Amino acid sequence: MTTITKPPATKTSSAGRRPDEKRDLKIATGMSHVALVAWAVITAGPLLWVLLASFKSNTEIFLGKPFALPNQFSFDTYINAWSDAHIGRYFLNSVFVVLISTAGTMLFGAMAAYVLARYKFPGNRAIYYLFVSGLAFPTFMALAPLFYILKGLGLLGSFTGLILVYIAYSLPFTIFFLAAFFKSLPYEIEEAATVDGASHVRKFFQIMMPMARSGLVSITIFNIVGQWNQYLLPVVIMSGPGADQKLLLTQGIAQISVSAGYQAEWSTLFAALVLTILPMIIVYAIFQRQIQAGLTAGAVK
Amino acid sequence: MSVVDSPATRRPRDPGGPRQNRVPGHVAPRRRKRNSGLVPWALAVPALVLIAALLGYPLVRMLVLSFQNMRLRELISGRTPPWVGFDQYTRVLTDEVFWAVVGRTVAFTVVSVLISVIGGLSIALLMRRVTRGVRLFMVIAMMFVWALPQLVAAQIFRWMTDSDFGVVNYLIDKLPGVNYQNHSWFVNPWQGWSVITALVVWAGIPFLAITLNAGLTQVPKELLEAATVDGATPWQSLRNIILPILKPLITIVTTLSVIWNFGLFTQAWVLRDGHPEPQFQTLATYSYTQAFGQARYSLGSAIAVITVLLMLGVMIFYIRQMFRIGEVD
Repeated sequence: MTTITKPPATKTSSAGRRPDEKRDLKIATGMSHVALVAWAVITAGPLLWVLLASFKSNTEIFLGKPFALPNQFSFDTYINAWSDAHIGRYFLNSVFVVLISTAGTMLFGAMAAYVLARYKFPGNRAIYYLFVSGLAFPTFMALAPLFYILKGLGLLGSFTGLILVYIAYSLPFTIFFLAAFFKSLPYEIEEAATVDGASHVRKFFQIMMPMARSGLVSITIFNIVGQWNQYLLPVVIMSGPGADQKLLLTQGIAQISVSAGYQAEWSTLFAALVLTILPMIIVYAIFQRQIQAGLTAGAVK
Repeated sequence: MSVVDSPATRRPRDPGGPRQNRVPGHVAPRRRKRNSGLVPWALAVPALVLIAALLGYPLVRMLVLSFQNMRLRELISGRTPPWVGFDQYTRVLTDEVFWAVVGRTVAFTVVSVLISVIGGLSIALLMRRVTRGVRLFMVIAMMFVWALPQLVAAQIFRWMTDSDFGVVNYLIDKLPGVNYQNHSWFVNPWQGWSVITALVVWAGIPFLAITLNAGLTQVPKELLEAATVDGATPWQSLRNIILPILKPLITIVTTLSVIWNFGLFTQAWVLRDGHPEPQFQTLATYSYTQAFGQARYSLGSAIAVITVLLMLGVMIFYIRQMFRIGEVD
């Protein structure tokens, strides 16, 4: 009986509240849109301004009409930046370094994270904390000793040295994230594989890696972004004789802007700035969905 | 302890319950039998070696260096610098300039992290309310900013706030009755720091908003609907449902933001053209200028060590919590 008498009561109460609530909701949604549009302008504004400026000639930039369209859309500034300012070479250097070091980071990081997450052995926790405590240290701390170590190894000013350093500095976060992710995966499949006689290595590459795909993809992107963004490390490591051929893109940009005051081709700088974003556009275009889905999967559950 | 333990349910693993039983006896043979012990080690070794050599060893070296007195002379001749004990530390800690830098860095970190996290959370919450298309657009726009190298972002802000040709002055000047032509943003430290903070927050919010937005998808819809039916205000559902669920994630991103912002270097460096004035020095730039600019390598190391100790002192609780969240089974 009670079940029958109840529904009408709730119905009336909710019906009485509804119009009011709807209006509130509409206002709230409207406000959210306004707030988000404002934020979108703030977010995208500077980027669009740079894009606009990159098509302008030097004189146009200094004309004092920052939002005027350029006289003509030509890619001259980009061609200048690519060849005259050597941005082309630096760009390819950066791509090369980031590709290899991200691959290395993912391989070593996934292996270590897998072991730490899935095997029990004495010292497991100690090693985990050792890895992850690397997260807490600001990069700049180790710069000077790092310089001497690489110098001692003869790796100063070499891509090998830089790649190894990139890998070492990306590992703490990678392991922290992937260990949590590997732990969240089901154990049953792995156990079945063990029963069927799969080796450790095979289990890792053929079972765990594919299962962890979404986590691997998002942390890969995180590492690509992080390593593409590095500036301080290459400045310290890519020094010494012969290093000027091996500068990275961020260094090239700093070079343009620092070296020559107001005489510089600022349009070249803006073109170079746009070029740094380009690879990221490609990465996002490919992985957009995984980035959103996977970024927190390991941490939140 | 109990507070730290509470966020997750990992009691069985915690103080080494099952492990403890195995450890006292003969460990090695047993381990080998059960897990064919060497393979896990082999998988972990490359990462271990790299971190130990390129992250661990430099840190130890720096610690040693901070107890010595390395100057340009020792650097060039390659002689072992003289051991001076805690001299560098007393010198740093009794220096008023250093404490001013500490205060400034802490203030900046607190303000910038607060704004970033609250802003990021609000944007993440707002994004749940708008249509899919708008949400996608927002995510893409923020992805670009997130992916922007700090150096590039700093260059952009440097140009936007340029006193002669900056677009910011141009826009403010358009306001009626305001003359901002040729206004220099870095004469007044408050204004200069607002620019730096704006840059750091602008570049930091996308990561927070995207991460928290992804975290929000894990909040069960039924729970929120049930709360609304029971007459909970949006504020109440935020406080009592959403925030508790998001708490581990918020802890992680806040801790990371503090670590990153406390080590602020590139932005201040670029905005001040590689020569930050005293009022724009942070602990990172201060340590760097002392070490490389003034060739006081040991003093710079001591400052860096103190920086990490300060940060760990304040953050140890949260960092521990962050690691433990990462350990959830």
